[in-house]
Amino acid sequence: MRDRGIGGSTAFRGRRSSVIATAVGIVVALFFIVLVVSSPEDRESAASPLLGNPAPVVKSTTLDDMQFELSRRRGSWVMFNFFNSTCVPCRQEHPELVAFHEAQAAAGTPTELYSVINDDSDNAVRAFFEANRGDWSKIRDDDGSIAVAFGVAKVPETWIIDPNGYVRMRFIGAVTKNLLDEKLTELQAAFEGM
Amino acid sequence: MLSAGGVGGPIGRAFLLVGLVGALFGFVSCVMGMRQKDEKVLHLSLRFATLSAVSAIGAFVAMEYAMITRDFSLDYIQKVGSRSTPALYNFTAVWSALEGSILMWLLALALMTAWVAWRYRGKITDPLVASALATMFVTAFFFFLLTVGPANPFAPGEAGVTDGPGPNPLLQNHILVLFHPPILYIGYVGFTIPFAFAIGALITGRLGEGWLLETRRWALFSWGFLTFGIILGGWWSYEVLGWSGVWAWDPVENASLLPWITGTAYIHSVLVQERRGMLRVWNLSLLIATFSLTILGTFLTRSGILNSVHAFSESDIGPYLLTFFAIVVVASLVLIGWRGDRLRAPGIIDSPMSREGAFLANNVLFAVFAFVVLLGTVFPLIVEALQNRQIVVGEPFFDSLATPIGIVMLFLMCIAPVLPWRKASTELLSQRLFWPAWCGVAALAVAVFLGATGIEPLLTFTLGGFATGAALRQLVLATRRQKWRGLVGRANGGMIVHIGVIMISVALAASNSYTRSQELTLTKGVPASFGGHTFELTGFVEESDARRTSIKVDVSVDGGKSYRPAIHKFISMGQNVGTPSVKSSWSKDIYLTLEPPVKPTSDEAKIKVFIKPMMTWMWAGGILMAIGTVLAAFPGRRRRPTDPVSAPIPTASSTGPAS
Amino acid sequence: MNLPRPRSQSPRLKSWPMWMLMGIVTVCLLAIGAGREGGPLTQQERIDGITKRLACPTCDGESVFVSQASAAVNIKNEVARQVAAGQRDDEQIVALIEDRFGGRVLLVPRATGFDSLVWVLPVSVLVCSVAGLAATFRRWRREQGLVPSDDDRALVAQLLAEEPEDHDEVPG
Repeated sequence: MRDRGIGGSTAFRGRRSSVIATAVGIVVALFFIVLVVSSPEDRESAASPLLGNPAPVVKSTTLDDMQFELSRRRGSWVMFNFFNSTCVPCRQEHPELVAFHEAQAAAGTPTELYSVINDDSDNAVRAFFEANRGDWSKIRDDDGSIAVAFGVAKVPETWIIDPNGYVRMRFIGAVTKNLLDEKLTELQAAFEGM
Repeated sequence: MLSAGGVGGPIGRAFLLVGLVGALFGFVSCVMGMRQKDEKVLHLSLRFATLSAVSAIGAFVAMEYAMITRDFSLDYIQKVGSRSTPALYNFTAVWSALEGSILMWLLALALMTAWVAWRYRGKITDPLVASALATMFVTAFFFFLLTVGPANPFAPGEAGVTDGPGPNPLLQNHILVLFHPPILYIGYVGFTIPFAFAIGALITGRLGEGWLLETRRWALFSWGFLTFGIILGGWWSYEVLGWSGVWAWDPVENASLLPWITGTAYIHSVLVQERRGMLRVWNLSLLIATFSLTILGTFLTRSGILNSVHAFSESDIGPYLLTFFAIVVVASLVLIGWRGDRLRAPGIIDSPMSREGAFLANNVLFAVFAFVVLLGTVFPLIVEALQNRQIVVGEPFFDSLATPIGIVMLFLMCIAPVLPWRKASTELLSQRLFWPAWCGVAALAVAVFLGATGIEPLLTFTLGGFATGAALRQLVLATRRQKWRGLVGRANGGMIVHIGVIMISVALAASNSYTRSQELTLTKGVPASFGGHTFELTGFVEESDARRTSIKVDVSVDGGKSYRPAIHKFISMGQNVGTPSVKSSWSKDIYLTLEPPVKPTSDEAKIKVFIKPMMTWMWAGGILMAIGTVLAAFPGRRRRPTDPVSAPIPTASSTGPAS
Repeated sequence: MNLPRPRSQSPRLKSWPMWMLMGIVTVCLLAIGAGREGGPLTQQERIDGITKRLACPTCDGESVFVSQASAAVNIKNEVARQVAAGQRDDEQIVALIEDRFGGRVLLVPRATGFDSLVWVLPVSVLVCSVAGLAATFRRWRREQGLVPSDDDRALVAQLLAEEPEDHDEVPG
C-alpha cells in the first residue's frame, strides 16, 4: 500500500473495500434474518368493519329461480357460506356443512343456511350439489356485488347474521360443524341475554 | 401414437444424474488442477464440461419427447400435457411450469459452460480461467441438483392417467410463447459468464485488460437478449393479456428488470474502465450484482414467498434457491472485501463535466433505480414478516419514482454523446448541443400543437427530441467520416440503441398519459362512435374444438376492416381468457376487448375501446435497440492494452477520437 | 491540458442570446402545455383511474385494472356501479372499497408509520448517493495537484513492462 498517493487517506482507502463489503453484508444478513426467523402467522384475522353493524342489502335470485332478500329473513339466524365448486377447502368443508344443516333441521328454531355462489356457473354448482348432497338454497351473485358488499375476496367464508339483521361473526377458510355449533350457541346465548 | 410408456422418465433422470456428476467432477478437476498446476487434470475439466452439456441436451430432448408423445407416466406431463393441445403449444408446454423451465435454464447454462471450457482451452492453465470455469461448474452443479432434487421433471406420476389439463390457457394463445421465455433465459443465464470471470479476477487478484474485452462481449450479448426478452414480454402482455398495457410492475416483471438495470449500468461504466482504467472494483460488483439478482429473481418468483412470506419454506425449491443466493452473496462480499483494494486502480476523474462524469452519474442513477425496484418488490415481504399484515406495493409507487429517474436519464442521454473525455467547457457544449437542443424544442412545439398536456410527458418529449438530436449528430458525423463504418462499433451502435430507448420512452409517456377508453354497447348494424372513430358490430362467430370454445365478435372500425376481439373458454381448466384485437397505425392503436357476458342471440355485444397513441413506436424502438446492439458488437478500432488511455484529445477534429 | 477547441461555425447563431431565446421558447411552450386541461374523462376512464389505484386482493400486487381474477372483476364491477351512480367522488370510492376489504386493496401503502419507509428510503438513498458523488468529485479536484509518489511510478513502470498476453506469474 502506498503511504502517500492519489486517492485519499491511506487508512481508509486501504480498507475501503472491506468496509463497504461488510456494510452490504450486514444489510443482506438483516434481510435474511427478517425472512427466515419470522414466526408463522396465526389464522388470518376475521375482522370486518361489518361486525356488530347491520348487514348489507342482499337481493338476488336463487338457483331455483326464486327471489331472495336478506331483509325478509329477519327473525331467524342466517348463515351465509361463500363458496365455489372448484376450491379445495370448500369441498373439504362441504360434508361439515351438510351435517350442520341436517342437525339444524332437527332443531326447534333452525339457523338458515345459504350458499352464495362465487364466480361459478349454475350447472357446475348444481352438479356439485347433486354429487355431494346439501339441499339448502344457493344464491346467485353474478356480478359479485354480494361478495364485494361483504368484502369477500377468497372463498370459503362463512358469515353469521342475527335475527335483527346484524352481522355477528365471520369465518375465513374452511369451517367444521363443531366450530359452527359452538360459536352459534355463544352468539345465541348473548342474543337472548340482551 | 408411440408411447415411451415409462422409459422416458428414467432415461431423462439418468441424464440429469450424469450431468450432476459431470459438474461436480469438473469443479474438482479445475480446483485440483489449479492447486497442483497439473495441466492434464485441468484438461479433464473439458471432458466433464462436454459431459454435462451432453447430459443437459439429453435431458431436455427426453422431456420434449415425453411431451410430444404424451407420456402421462410422468408427473410433469400430467400437469401440463394434454391430448388436445396443438403441436406448437404442446412443444412450448415444456417450459410452461417450474420443472421444465429449470430444465431450460440448465440447458443454456451447461452449453455455456462447455463453450467457456472449449473457447479458453488453450488458456486453461491460467488460474483466472480455471477459477472462472470452476465457478461455472458450481452454478451448473446447483441447477443439476435442483432438477435431481426438489424440481424433478421426470418424477413419476399417478398410475392410470391418460390425459391432462394442458398448459395455462394464457400460454396457448400466441406464438410468442415460443420466443419470449427462451430469449429471456439466454439473457439471464448469459450473465453467468461475466460473473464467473469476475469471481476469477477476484480470486486471482488480477484483472487483465484482455479478459475485460471478452467479458464485455458476453455481457453485451446477454444484455441484448435480456433486453429483447423483456420487450417481447411487454408485447405479449399487450397482445395476449387484454388489459391494454405493456408493463404492470408485478414481481415477475421486476425480477427480470433488476438484472437488466445493473447490466445496463455495467455496459456503460465498463467504458470508463477501458478508457481510464478506473471503476474496476465497481464493475466487478455490478457483474456480481447482476448474477445475484437473477438468482434472487428466480427465488422470488418461484418459491411462493410473494403469496405469503411463510409459503416459501413450505415450497420445495425456495430454501435451495435462497441458500444458493446466500452463498453467492457471502462469497462475493468476502472476495471483494479481501481483494478489492488490490484491484483498485489509482486515478481520478478530472471533471464532472466529461464523459466519465456522465457515466458516473448514469451509474448512480441506475443504482438508485435498482434500489427502488428491489425495495418495492421485497417491502411487502418485510412488512409481513415483521408486522404480520399484508400490504401491496404496486404500480403507482414504481411509476412515481421511475418517471423522474427516467427524465433525468433522458437528460443524460442528451449531453453525454457530445461530452468529450477528460473535460469539457461550456463553450464546447453550447456549440455541440445547439442543434440537438432545437430538435428538442421542435418536438415540444409539435406536441403542444397536437394538444398534449401534462408537465411530465411534455418534458419527456422535449428531452426525447433533444437526445435524438444528440444521437443523430454523432451518427451523422461518424458516417460522414467513415461511410458505412460510421454505423457500427460501440459508440455508433450505442447511439442507435439510444434512439430506440428514446422511442420507447416517448411511446410510454404518450400511452400512459393520453390513452382514452370507453365501454360501448354495440347493437348489430348500428355504428357507435368514440374518439373520432366509428365502431359497428357486424356479426358473431362461434368456434369450438376439443380444448376450447370461442366466441368472437366482428367489429368494423371506421367502416373498414373488421377486428375480432374474442373470449375463449378452456374446457379442461374452466377458465375464460379474453383476447384483444388491435388496429395499429403509426399515430395510435385502437385496442378492442370483448366484455362478458356475451349473448350471440341478442344481437348486442359490450366492447371496451382503448385509443392508445404511439404504441407502434414502442415496438419500432425495440427493434432499433436490437439492431443497435448487433451493430455495437462489431469490433471497433482495436486498442493495445498498454496504450496510455489518458492521451490528450487531438484538436484537429471537434468530435475527438472515434469510438 | 488542452481542451478541445470548438470549431466555430456561424458563431453568431450559436451564441448566448440564441440559447436564451431557446430557453424562453421552451418555458413558454411547457407552460402552455402543462397549464391546459386534458378535457373531461369518460366514465370508463374514470373507472380505469380508480381501479388503477386498487390492488387485487388475491393476486401478487396486480392492480384491479390489470387483473382478471374473480375478486378483481367483482371490485371492478362495484367501482363501475359507483361511478355510474355518480354520488361519490374517486377518493370516496377508493375509501369504500378499502373499508370493505381492508388495507390490502390499496395499491400503495398510506405514508404512515412503518409503511412510510417505502418512500423515505429511496429518497434518502438518492440524496446520499448524489452527495457521495459530489464529495468524490470534490476530493478528486483537490487531488489534481498531487504529485505521483515513487511507489506510483514504480507500479506504472512494472505494468508497462509486462506483456499483455503474459500470465505466467501470478502476482503474490
